[in-house]
Amino acid sequence: MTTNLSLVCGEEILQVSGLSVNRSGVEVISDINLSVNCGEFVGIVGPNGAGKTTLILTILGILKPRKGHVSLSKAISGKVGWVPQAATSLPKNMKITVREFIQLGTLDSATWFLPFGTKYDKQNVSKIIETVGLTDYAETRIANLSGGQRQRAAIGKALASKADLLLMDEPMVGVDLKSRNSIMKLLDDLCHTQNKTIVMISHDLASMKRTVHRMVYLEQHIRYDGSTNDFPELSVLADLRGIEETHPEGLLSEVDQTAPEDIITVWQKDELRSRKS
Amino acid sequence: MIAVIIILLVVVIFLPILIATVDLGGLLIEGLGPILESLEPLIPGEWFPLYFTRVYLQRPLIASLVVSMVAGFMGTFLLMRNLALIGDGLAHVSFGAIAVALAVGWAPLEFALIICVISALIIEFLSEKGYLTGDSAIAIFLTGMLGLGLVVSYVSGDSAIRQIDGYLWGNLNLIDAESFNNIIWVSLISYITLAILYRSLLAICIDPIASQVQGIPVFLITIIWSTLIAVVVVSMVQIVGALLVTALIVTPAAMAQLTSRSFFMCVVLSQIFGIITVLLGLYYSAELGTGSGSMIALVSAVLFVVIALTKGVVKMFTATNQNTN
Repeated sequence: MTTNLSLVCGEEILQVSGLSVNRSGVEVISDINLSVNCGEFVGIVGPNGAGKTTLILTILGILKPRKGHVSLSKAISGKVGWVPQAATSLPKNMKITVREFIQLGTLDSATWFLPFGTKYDKQNVSKIIETVGLTDYAETRIANLSGGQRQRAAIGKALASKADLLLMDEPMVGVDLKSRNSIMKLLDDLCHTQNKTIVMISHDLASMKRTVHRMVYLEQHIRYDGSTNDFPELSVLADLRGIEETHPEGLLSEVDQTAPEDIITVWQKDELRSRKS
Repeated sequence: MIAVIIILLVVVIFLPILIATVDLGGLLIEGLGPILESLEPLIPGEWFPLYFTRVYLQRPLIASLVVSMVAGFMGTFLLMRNLALIGDGLAHVSFGAIAVALAVGWAPLEFALIICVISALIIEFLSEKGYLTGDSAIAIFLTGMLGLGLVVSYVSGDSAIRQIDGYLWGNLNLIDAESFNNIIWVSLISYITLAILYRSLLAICIDPIASQVQGIPVFLITIIWSTLIAVVVVSMVQIVGALLVTALIVTPAAMAQLTSRSFFMCVVLSQIFGIITVLLGLYYSAELGTGSGSMIALVSAVLFVVIALTKGVVKMFTATNQNTN
């Protein structure tokens, strides 16, 4: 399936080669090579501090690489959507409706100074509200939405920029299982019907395994990159992490090897097991 | 992008010339004067109607209404960024600058404007880089400059203290034809700029990173925005005084936040509440013979409490209704 899809769309949309990035003097990711094709749905997993967000921010051009470079296909240059973490992205005291919020996504370097936006943008926004399933809540305040609906609104805002490549930083934080499934379905639809390319960071292995075409395990380096079906079991993953000594103190790395819990929380592991049985 | 910068430069260079040559304030008085006079029979009170008939009182009336609209517009953005205190902080900075200027003999408002713009930019960048949280950065500037202003005015003698009083509490008599013209020009340009930046400012308030990704010139807009706050605050110091600027920037916006559903509604209501505050404040200050600035501040606080209580009561009733259903 996966290979078929990328063959249909063909074109390489994003290429990261030999990328190393420093944050406050520490090399967070080093020598990353990654290429993403149009229409792919890529999931990035890895423990906290593994450099996942750093990678995404570098692709967006917010952080400057120390070595290597990021190249986006000409067809999509400037049309990258960014969906930040639900919990941190929206101020609590915002008195702003879903429609206004999603409309903000339509602003770009050519239209930011227009006070009311173009007619095309307005129609586009209505369509997107329908796509993300918030038609009934279009005039509701963002602050009054549930976590899942809020996340849909954030996805809508990214879609409104007409982006073909969506980069998501843990969109499932604070979202319950049911909403999580429906959001994953929405993303899957976007991939298949609208030919969007999605790169998503998540700690939620279970729902990732169901929908994502390709998994990348990142911990400073890329430790695994391949089809979801071949994604290693937890024990193998723990071994994978031990391949290189990332921590100079032996104690720390020992603890790390025996406790893969920070990759996947315990209840998510249970969920994984129950799904298999 | 480059076109925008060029337009900005042209505006900055030619603005003083434009303000000096085109007497917008005079034109406004000529146009609105007869209308205000015809409203006079409808106006209640013994002294308040004078604001509508005497030219020297028409000016402060129009100026405070216009400024309250700009301040209300601006306040909604400040509240959204949790920078409600920035207006207050800059007002105190301008107070310190005015005291220094009066002591040395420079033009007080022009000097205050320059100092305020610089401080606004410093506050913005200090808080953006995370060296200081917004609140503490503002608080440090606020008390420091207030102290400086008071010390300078004590050192320089009696006449300076008497003059500075007007800037501390606001004095409508400070508004002559020339400063009226300045206020109208500044308000007009600020209002147009806010209208142009409306959506991009909102986008930056909500998510600066996403705005940058979308191609909005975040840096440029931040600079324009800081300058704008400083300009509006300095033009307000004459009307409500340095200590009471918050009354027109934050309070109307806070009332609008309580009552509106969408952001657009919030912007509109904030301006309406600003106008109501100014009218009521001027009415009571005229009838009771108190200072205009302090009365405006008091009225705005009372209005806020009334609206908050009303909302609370309404919410309570709707909640009980839902329960019984």
